[in-house]
Amino acid sequence: MPSVRGLDVALVLWPSFLAACGASLLFFAAVDPALLRDAGPRLFAGLEREAGYALGFLFFWAVGAVASAISVYLIRTARAPPADRAPDEPR
Amino acid sequence: MKTARVSTLPSSASPGAFYAAAPKIYPREINGRFTRLRKAAVVVLLGLFYGLAWLNWNGHQALLFDLPARKFHIFGLTLWPQDFLYLALLLIIAALSLFFFTALAGRLWCGYACPQTVWTELFVWIEQWTEGQRLQRMKLDRAPWTASKLLRKGSKHLLWLALALFTGFTFVGYFMPIRSLGAQIAMLSLGPWPSFWIFLYAFATYGNAGFLREQVCKYMCPYARFQSAMFDADTLVISYDEKRGEPRGARRRGSAARSLGLGDCIDCTMCVQACPTGIDIRHGLQYECIACGACIDACDDVMDKMGTARGLIRYTTEHALHGERTRIVRTRLVVYAALISTALGALGFLLLTRVPLILDVIRDRNALYREVHGARIENAYTLKMINLDDGPHRYRLTADGMPGLQLIAPAGEISLPPGSVNTLAARLEAPGEIAGGVHHIVLTLAAIDGSGVVVHENTRFIGPTP
Repeated sequence: MPSVRGLDVALVLWPSFLAACGASLLFFAAVDPALLRDAGPRLFAGLEREAGYALGFLFFWAVGAVASAISVYLIRTARAPPADRAPDEPR
Repeated sequence: MKTARVSTLPSSASPGAFYAAAPKIYPREINGRFTRLRKAAVVVLLGLFYGLAWLNWNGHQALLFDLPARKFHIFGLTLWPQDFLYLALLLIIAALSLFFFTALAGRLWCGYACPQTVWTELFVWIEQWTEGQRLQRMKLDRAPWTASKLLRKGSKHLLWLALALFTGFTFVGYFMPIRSLGAQIAMLSLGPWPSFWIFLYAFATYGNAGFLREQVCKYMCPYARFQSAMFDADTLVISYDEKRGEPRGARRRGSAARSLGLGDCIDCTMCVQACPTGIDIRHGLQYECIACGACIDACDDVMDKMGTARGLIRYTTEHALHGERTRIVRTRLVVYAALISTALGALGFLLLTRVPLILDVIRDRNALYREVHGARIENAYTLKMINLDDGPHRYRLTADGMPGLQLIAPAGEISLPPGSVNTLAARLEAPGEIAGGVHHIVLTLAAIDGSGVVVHENTRFIGPTP
């Protein structure tokens, strides 16, 4: 079922999702989002703890997705075929 | 990685198959030993998932990773963010166990315990119930849209959505108290973030178990790609017995296969139809195989009907297939087992020696010391105490480490409710003639209610330079 585009979307969103889970776990084990509100920059004023967790997770996900997207883009637009691609296969 | 043994390339003949649209897979429903085992695993695991969230323990939810309160309740144990080490150790133990069981018996995790497998199984049951058996489902998908098709498809998606939403609700119920979460939903007063998480998890369940299914294993799962690194020739794998099966071919029931020049495989393709990932196990071990055993059940059934021995497709090892001895105890397994035992031992030791009390001592920043009552020296401190335990405790503070040291405040007993933080000012005095210079002292906070909880904290007592 996966088309090239569908696979690309999965390759961008999925690894970044896994990375965001790990990053959130580590980050929020050490940092209480309420601390960002009480002692952080003005940007975080009024930030609820639950919102802090969610926004933190989405932030990590977005950063990871950008990295994944660049990787996928570079692979898809490479001139040289990857080693495991058959030479006669249309690009 | 041992790519020679388990190919990580797409098994299809065309190398371009990775980019082509793969046909929808309609796994045939079968019955047998491994199917029953998988169904039992689904019932137990999902029963635990949906049920444990509602279990209470000592007046609070037994299993609650309370993110809003930043406290983890695991039955009688309450863990705080400071206890992150326990969680890390638990994750290490889980990963090592996965390695151990993979080396021992292949992809047990994938076939029986992975949430992807378990929820897919549940969603397929709903699909079978609303749309019928494999051939009926294929026919229904080809048929034009009629009221009956709309009803069948519509009810399937409604049930899927309801189940997915309930799953999302249960999932979030492990991170904030599920009863109050349920009450908030009932009163339509749920905040935006819990709603967001419920819908996100529901969407993921609906998509992964309803639509993506085997594609998650084939295209998205990292474990599927590297699990072969844990395999060796003594690992239990599901394998087609090529020597016994080939040359395959159709024949009449009861005919003597060998006299026809045939092996035991009658090429009925039941094993292919039963496969949830749509592979042909007769091509050998492939990374798409999640080791669910559906092909074994399908083939055993056919072998029974043909009157031949079961096990043309079976759990076996590479050594056994080649007529060699299978060694269960081997270096790889011993190493994994030793690592697991070490991590378990460390976790057990840390949990047993864990003191559910934190004492932080901060010296007064304004003055090093104060002269009081003429010849006496006073030092001031700020104490921060956290009772990490599940119950309330009463404590008493004492100070030692230099002669004549006297605790002025807090003199009485200190009560702390469970999970509470208390900040107190403390004052210590010592006679002026012995207080000169810097003295290393110890503050001790000990429970006086017989619970044996005690912590020591080092600090300094400073007097005028002699």
